Amino acid sequence: MSIVVEHLNKSFGSGVTAVRDLSFAAAPGKVTGFLGPNGAGKTTTLRCLLGLVAPTSGTATIDGVRYQEISNPINVVGASLEASGFHPARTARNHLRMIATAAQISGTRVDAVLDTVGLTAAADRKVGGYSLGMRQRLALGVALLGDPKVLILDEPANGLDPEGISWLRSFLRDQAATGVSVLVSSHVLSEVQQTVDDVIIIRSGSLVFQGSLHSLTEDGLPEVTVRGPNIGQLSIPGDWSLRESEPGEVVVTGATLEAVGRAAFEQSLELHELSSKAPDLEALFLGLTAEEVATSEGSQS
Amino acid sequence: MISLIRSEFRKVFSTKLLFILIISAVAFALLQVFLLIFVTPPGLEEANQLMNPQYIKTITASAGSASIFLLILGIVAMSGEYRNQTITSTFLVAPVRWKVIVAKMATFAILAFFIAILLWLIVSITAMLLLTTQESAPFEWSGAFEILGGTVLGLVLYGVLGVAIGSLITSQVAAIIISLVWVLIVEALLSVFFATFGNWLPGGALNAILQTNGNPEAIDADLLSVPVGALVLIGYAAIFAIAAAFFTTKRDIT
Repeated sequence: MSIVVEHLNKSFGSGVTAVRDLSFAAAPGKVTGFLGPNGAGKTTTLRCLLGLVAPTSGTATIDGVRYQEISNPINVVGASLEASGFHPARTARNHLRMIATAAQISGTRVDAVLDTVGLTAAADRKVGGYSLGMRQRLALGVALLGDPKVLILDEPANGLDPEGISWLRSFLRDQAATGVSVLVSSHVLSEVQQTVDDVIIIRSGSLVFQGSLHSLTEDGLPEVTVRGPNIGQLSIPGDWSLRESEPGEVVVTGATLEAVGRAAFEQSLELHELSSKAPDLEALFLGLTAEEVATSEGSQS
Repeated sequence: MISLIRSEFRKVFSTKLLFILIISAVAFALLQVFLLIFVTPPGLEEANQLMNPQYIKTITASAGSASIFLLILGIVAMSGEYRNQTITSTFLVAPVRWKVIVAKMATFAILAFFIAILLWLIVSITAMLLLTTQESAPFEWSGAFEILGGTVLGLVLYGVLGVAIGSLITSQVAAIIISLVWVLIVEALLSVFFATFGNWLPGGALNAILQTNGNPEAIDADLLSVPVGALVLIGYAAIFAIAAAFFTTKRDIT
């Protein structure tokens, strides 16, 4: 089952446009990262997908239908939207049971889910006393109750400890391996970098990149470090750029390692080092999303 | 729909809210019973009081005047879902939102039914026992039974109204304050200064089905008849319920 968003627009009454003409798709059997800075419109988009927010125009569908049209939807789509959606005086088990009852899911499934997310021991404690990480686990438990074919998770790694994050990673990989479509949002690329196959990057409600994680890095040429006694004399074509990082060492961007090596050779420059470093994904991500901070101010996160 | 109602019952019984409000309602009703029996209402001849069948009805109607607690219960339960953001999970399970509203109303109507009978029993038995300590006419169950139907209907409809108000005003504090100000101040003032108009308000209709306005001397003619009062109150509940379903369906859950 794929998740498809087409020409989605959402403006709130206050005149804030949260999502602008956004289109993307997330394929089955893959983990798709849905990335953007806070306030970029990620949560609004996910809420449109889940029938909680009505799009101003455009569509957001799961397997071709709107969420509201799915009968018993939590058996098809599992979602965790925010860690705070619990009654503080209710226990985790009772929270899950109340949802399970509405969806006609058995009590044994509730126990199984508590076990999966590692909350069995804390199941009968009030959620008000839970840590943020435990709330995240419970939210994930809610998403898993119906054993869904689609998982939509909003910032699921928020508040998890390193052990929890590593567990989440392998869990999401396992889910995707069984054919589940996983859409997971984050404002930090490095958080999902090791988990996702594809990435969708938005900024101020608009798409800035969609494709495989691999293709995101392919576009970015490496940073080439060149060191030598007379390296300051290196002249480069206009579409490269060069900066001196320390005396006798420059960093060239906009060219491959081979091209820089050839240029130095043609100019008969003695080299003591020629090395390249893959582009920093996080820097790339920030470059894609950092502009126009002012315009995203005040939009819904 | 059955599973949604069962889910609503799970919600109610997994917090202490219901318990606290039932205790409060019982305490409130009993306080009224004590006052009506031990503090002679001003201007009432004691001899009259002993003979007045309206007196028994007024005492029993204390159960029905606890309707306001059902109003609060409905408001807190519904607006609490917005306050704690459990509304997100609720609407993810049941995206056709009017069904959630109907299930919650049905749940609180069922609860109100049993709470009404409980209150009526507690009030009637307490009144019967207290009146035997007084040198007065014995407690007449026939009078009490005349109030039972009104008590049940009053509590059920106020429970439904509470859920409706909690979905229309999703800020819990605002919903409670606005409702209390309405019931205790605005409606009370309107009833004093524009008695006829006041009879057609929800509180006036509640008084009609409880056959009292709190004054044992009251003449029935001051109020709407029981059937008309019932219809008026059902009308209010229906209008608010439809508005609640309509606006809840339109609302963005952010």
